[in-house]
Amino acid sequence: TIETQKQQPTFNFKEYMIEKANYVNKALDEAVSVKNPPKIHEAMRYSLLAGGKRVRPMLCIAACELVGGHQSAAMPAACAVEMIHTMSLIHDDLPCMDDDDLRRGKPTNHKVFGEDVAVLAGDSLLAFAFEFIVTVANRVPPNRVLAAVGELAKAIGTEGLVAGQVVDLSCTGNNTNVGLPELEFIHIHKTAALLEASVVLGAILGGGTDEQVEKLRTFARKIGLLFQVVDDILDVTKSSEELGKTAGKDLVADKATYPKLLGLDKAREFAEKLNEEAKEQLAEFDSDKAAPLIALADYIAHRQN
Amino acid sequence: QRISTSQFDLKTYWTTLIQEINHKLDEAIPVQYPQQIYEAMRYSVLAKGAKRAPPVMCVAACELFGGHRLAAFPTACALEMVHAASLIHDDLPCMDDDPSRRGQPSNHTIFGVDMAILAGDALFPLGFRHIVSHTPTDLVPETRLLKVIAEIARAVGSTGMAAGQFLDLEGGPNAVDFVQEKKYGELGECSAVCGGLLAGASDEEIQRLRRYGRAVGVLYQVVDDMLEAKMDKEINKDKKKNTGKSYVAAYGVEKAMEVAEDLRAQAKKELDGLEKYGEKVVPLYSFVDYAADRGFGVGDQVE
Repeated sequence: TIETQKQQPTFNFKEYMIEKANYVNKALDEAVSVKNPPKIHEAMRYSLLAGGKRVRPMLCIAACELVGGHQSAAMPAACAVEMIHTMSLIHDDLPCMDDDDLRRGKPTNHKVFGEDVAVLAGDSLLAFAFEFIVTVANRVPPNRVLAAVGELAKAIGTEGLVAGQVVDLSCTGNNTNVGLPELEFIHIHKTAALLEASVVLGAILGGGTDEQVEKLRTFARKIGLLFQVVDDILDVTKSSEELGKTAGKDLVADKATYPKLLGLDKAREFAEKLNEEAKEQLAEFDSDKAAPLIALADYIAHRQN
Repeated sequence: QRISTSQFDLKTYWTTLIQEINHKLDEAIPVQYPQQIYEAMRYSVLAKGAKRAPPVMCVAACELFGGHRLAAFPTACALEMVHAASLIHDDLPCMDDDPSRRGQPSNHTIFGVDMAILAGDALFPLGFRHIVSHTPTDLVPETRLLKVIAEIARAVGSTGMAAGQFLDLEGGPNAVDFVQEKKYGELGECSAVCGGLLAGASDEEIQRLRRYGRAVGVLYQVVDDMLEAKMDKEINKDKKKNTGKSYVAAYGVEKAMEVAEDLRAQAKKELDGLEKYGEKVVPLYSFVDYAADRGFGVGDQVE
């Protein structure tokens, strides 16, 4: 972040992060209130409000503001992508999937509420994301909202999160056949797809041109892959306590990771390359307005957990 | 040209529509890499014996208000996708633990619990995506589509079908009424309302469709419970796991029959308020009698 401050002396990333995270947390808290039956809603809130870094909502808001939109135009979408992210974590942690006990430093959803409620809480968050994103229709032209709905739906299903998880599951314990193409497929779908959607939704709702939306899409794909490469590196270099989740799990599960396939040094080089390529996409935008996205890319590259 | 209610051939109307919907669903889920997830989705969505009641009700409601059938098809398919998704998740071992569905092994029995969860997770968004990418925008204004998306999301969500499933598992006093309303009434309501929304029905008409669809959805299930109870008695088999949550088990056959008649009357009363549309109301009208009487076989018999 010291480097970032040199480049963009007028922009304080830490302040920006805190301000946006507060804004998003408040909106999420209000969006998912406890209704009948209380237990499902409590389960939804347990994972949704567990203190994630809100990287996806921030990308969504930053992209919206970059193309000249007001953050209120992106807020329902910013919340929706966090709801989708949360539901995918709840379902991925289930015993029949990755079987994880710990998430964001707390017991996983099914550990607290039971598997049945965890499945339903995930399903409910998925549905609610779509219900909520439509609420922006009084502030944004309907064609933009519809395009956003289509983008979000694509990012979740068999061309997004689900595809990534399917290939990931089929590769676990079978690492002899896993090469870089499979690994990239997993990460592009499991991680990059939703980060891409976060940025693209913000750009669409903010009124970006098709050309701007596509530039930002490429930016998002690069940082999406970057996000996962860094995750893999952290998994082998940090402890569970530092990460707030079970460290070294990928090795135990015999999963393919970038450090394992490339070596730790090459994996770090790859991460730097992706970060540079991502930021190149922002060259044609106003540099002041692009500062949050540039800082977010650096944050993703250099985060410690 | 004019058809009276008694002459209206629901069977032909329904079987023709089912064929069209099956064809469109088949096209909507082409198999790509990674294959197993597409196959899991197709297995449940294209299962033989699916009666396609939600899509048929959606199309019928749309046509009632002069909407074009082509305007309703994408939403009709989406309803069937989210319906399949919720059935797949309901059958899971941690839920109802049902090894079979419509006389076939349930999704997780064939594809594994992990794939079954993911197939459901993929079918929900595919439904929304299908509406956005396939609805002809010259036939349906975008604002109506946004209402349809919100309606489906609400119906399947934490206060709708997911709530019904939760209460079904949790039990508790008087749970059966709530479970029936949410697990079965909700999708009927949503299907009828979506059809009306697509065709631009007025708020008052939407309210009628809401009550109509909910009544038919619950009616359908109450009658299913009665048929199942009757069959269990005839072949004298052990009670099924779910029977404790059936209407008949909770209230007895006589009360269930009373409830069914009330629901039938209620659904028809709502349609009486739409009489200005003349014979166009007939498909929705005969739908009620079908739900109550099961006058003809559609597809393969479920039971």
